[in-house]
Amino acid sequence: MTSGTVFFNHELTATSHSLADYRARGGYASLEKALRTMQPVEVEREVLQSGLQGRGGAGFTTGVKWDFVDKKSPVVYLCCNIDEGEPGTFKDRWILEHSPHQLLEGMLLGSYALGVRHAFAYVRGEFDLPWRRLAGALAEARTAGLVGERILGSHFSCDIVVHRGAGAYVCGEESSLLNSLEGKKGWPRNKPPFPAVKGLYQRPTVVNNTETLATVPWILANGAPAYAAMGVKKSPGTRLFGVSGHVARPGLHEKPTGYPLQRLIHEDAGGVLGGRALKAVIPGGSSTPILTAAEVETLTLDPEAMSKAGTMLGSGAVIVIAEGTCMVRLLQVLTRFYAHESCGQCSPCREGTDWMNRILTRICAGRGTGDDLATLRSVAAGIQGNTVCALGDAAAMPVASFMKRFGAEFEYFVQHGRSMNDGRLAP
Amino acid sequence: MKLTIDGREVEADDGETVLRAALRHGIQIPHFCWHAKLTIAGSCRMCLVKVNDLPKLQPACNVAATPKMRIDTQHEQVQRARAQVMEFLLLNHPVDCGVCDKAGECRLQDYQHRYGAAASRSNEDKRHARKLHPLGERILLDNERCILCSRCVRFTREVSKTNALGIVERGSHEYVDVVDGAFDDPYSGNVVDLCPTGALLSRSFLYRCRTWFLEPVRSVCTGCERACELRVWRRKAERASHAPGAAPDREVYRITAPEGTAAEGGPWLCNRGFDQHVWMKRPRLPGALVDGHPASAADALARVRALLGAAHRPAVLVSSHASNEQADALRACLPPHATAYVHTDRLPQPGETLEDAVLIRADKNPNRRGVAARLGAAPLDAAARHDVVVVWGECAGAPAAGTPWIHLTPFETPAESAATVALPIPNALEFSGTMENFEGRTVAFDRVFAPPAHVHDPLDVLRSALA
Repeated sequence: MTSGTVFFNHELTATSHSLADYRARGGYASLEKALRTMQPVEVEREVLQSGLQGRGGAGFTTGVKWDFVDKKSPVVYLCCNIDEGEPGTFKDRWILEHSPHQLLEGMLLGSYALGVRHAFAYVRGEFDLPWRRLAGALAEARTAGLVGERILGSHFSCDIVVHRGAGAYVCGEESSLLNSLEGKKGWPRNKPPFPAVKGLYQRPTVVNNTETLATVPWILANGAPAYAAMGVKKSPGTRLFGVSGHVARPGLHEKPTGYPLQRLIHEDAGGVLGGRALKAVIPGGSSTPILTAAEVETLTLDPEAMSKAGTMLGSGAVIVIAEGTCMVRLLQVLTRFYAHESCGQCSPCREGTDWMNRILTRICAGRGTGDDLATLRSVAAGIQGNTVCALGDAAAMPVASFMKRFGAEFEYFVQHGRSMNDGRLAP
Repeated sequence: MKLTIDGREVEADDGETVLRAALRHGIQIPHFCWHAKLTIAGSCRMCLVKVNDLPKLQPACNVAATPKMRIDTQHEQVQRARAQVMEFLLLNHPVDCGVCDKAGECRLQDYQHRYGAAASRSNEDKRHARKLHPLGERILLDNERCILCSRCVRFTREVSKTNALGIVERGSHEYVDVVDGAFDDPYSGNVVDLCPTGALLSRSFLYRCRTWFLEPVRSVCTGCERACELRVWRRKAERASHAPGAAPDREVYRITAPEGTAAEGGPWLCNRGFDQHVWMKRPRLPGALVDGHPASAADALARVRALLGAAHRPAVLVSSHASNEQADALRACLPPHATAYVHTDRLPQPGETLEDAVLIRADKNPNRRGVAARLGAAPLDAAARHDVVVVWGECAGAPAAGTPWIHLTPFETPAESAATVALPIPNALEFSGTMENFEGRTVAFDRVFAPPAHVHDPLDVLRSALA
């Protein structure tokens, strides 16, 4: 585990997810090192110094998040968020399928740093193989004495509970994940209080993304400076980019931050499908604002550059859209998703997502009217910033950005009752 | 600590939310899901305000006041958000105010007039849902009118603790429903008032009257010694029927909890309280009885005077449903040879909730404490050998075998015909005064209706006979 990649450092074989294979490539050495030679606070400092940022989308510095937790609290919980539901994202699934022990080791290291006795892994309900791989890995680790009482003979004990969700996008939001884990309806909580103060069962809780926690063993094995040296300075390290959509070879790629987006699409993913021109890119999962081909010309994959371009790196899910795609119908697919997945707790998101979807569905059926686009814009603006959780923004941002960048297509569709594009990709 | 709301400096307590502080100082911040006696849901998003010029609006119900905080409730962004929330809430609302019992006292209606836009921009068909769905014996639910504020759900979780209601499904498909069995908890009547729209309806009040034809009269529940204040709704005088030969309207249309009661226990009532007028509808004693036979009022009163005038040791059992004022007046006119006791009018009936942890108390008599404080709490002393007993209030039978007794009661029960003399008196809606509940709280109540002509004031009867 000394190469420049945190995840893509081994051959994928039929057994590469097993404990024996993971150990053979240096697995659980970080845990052993931490338990034998390091204090919990040293582990936390190492993670803080590495500059590791959360991989779920918000990009908050992990070490700072850990620092917020009151370590004097008699109970602290760690939850790993594996409710990977953002359309276009499939990185956590890869981790669970091919290196589940890496995640378990990361969770144990996090638990050691935070003084956690019980850690939880909340797995997306639709995940089957990933869940079986994680549950299998947990059983292996427990048998090997890596999880449970007095891990590796030390004074540190920690149990990991794997919980399967019931298939709700909103449970990827940390506070609704906690509600769901408590057995309640997966509705987000009002903040404050934040989970770091009152989280799971009203105790201080850290919720981290899968990729974030699975990176921690590498940091401890290679040291914070080695990690901080990868990628761009402000948000170092590598990231898993899932390229999907109109590309020749969709798939997952591990690249250092700051990697050029064009290179990812045209070299790593084999270029746009059918040799078509690039029309647009959704750079970080379906809720991040869309960019036109011109805007991604020189764009690099790091949060700062993304923010300058008016979008976000999000969960690293790059959705590539080829010339010829109808943006109106594409947006309708997204609004249908958000209307379906709105949890229904707060009025703007519950009513607004459904309204936007109904307007767009009507436009796509050729029955758009003159003021529909103005209404759409204002409904999106009425949702954004006014909801309990960030998913209201997630539903509103695509609508606003699609209409800002491809407004002419929407107007054409409303005026003529049909798309400007034929929607077929092959010439 | 001091904070500024709309340029006005207001004082807030530690841990107090902005919404509570504002309401306490008379600053209105619109809200649907927040309720003073329930936990914070923060889901309607109507109370969004500008805090310290932050770009994102914050819900006033969930933001704790901090020193020197600046709140703007009239910012342009706030007004836009309110209008947008109103538009969202009315998007699939049927706006059937014309046939809605809640119209006139509906929060959704009021806020739409105050904060909403004149017209909806929606071109979509309204989503339809279940209408007039019976949740239990008392309550109907119209899911189309529901704005999913979850007040009723939180009520059954936090106050009545039956967990009867829940929000099922997700997103725009979700709706309030009974989660388990039927919604028949002993506090279910509260959800009608609690509902900020006309979604939860009282089956007994359904389509009976427009609320603006009615006026509330402050009254008291005689169901138990908690003596809850309530509002009894009668028709306004100017809305009375002018049809030739129409009898004066003596109908109680509904009963609600008082507005803004700060007393412990909250503004809740139990269903017995909501049924106060149903209790008062029991058959009245139609006229005076002497030795079990109908008699004229003059004959009956003459007999009472004769009995009490000849008595050496009369006993007066004073109703524990009487007012403090009546007890005071009786004490003032009680001659030395007469003794007063507190009468237990009502014992728990089979099937009645004896007592619970919310409101209902085991003693079913509202003013026992007040009457006992004035006339003594000792029980009727059989050894005192009273030669005449006056029973003021309902009773099951003769207080002492073989002794002549006079019964003053509003209602017809089998006991009357056993009494030497029985005289009708006003019921709880027909006189005013105060009561003192078991906690020592004084509850004032007003007369809702004038007593019928054949009814005697119990004090007049006793005063003239005992003097």
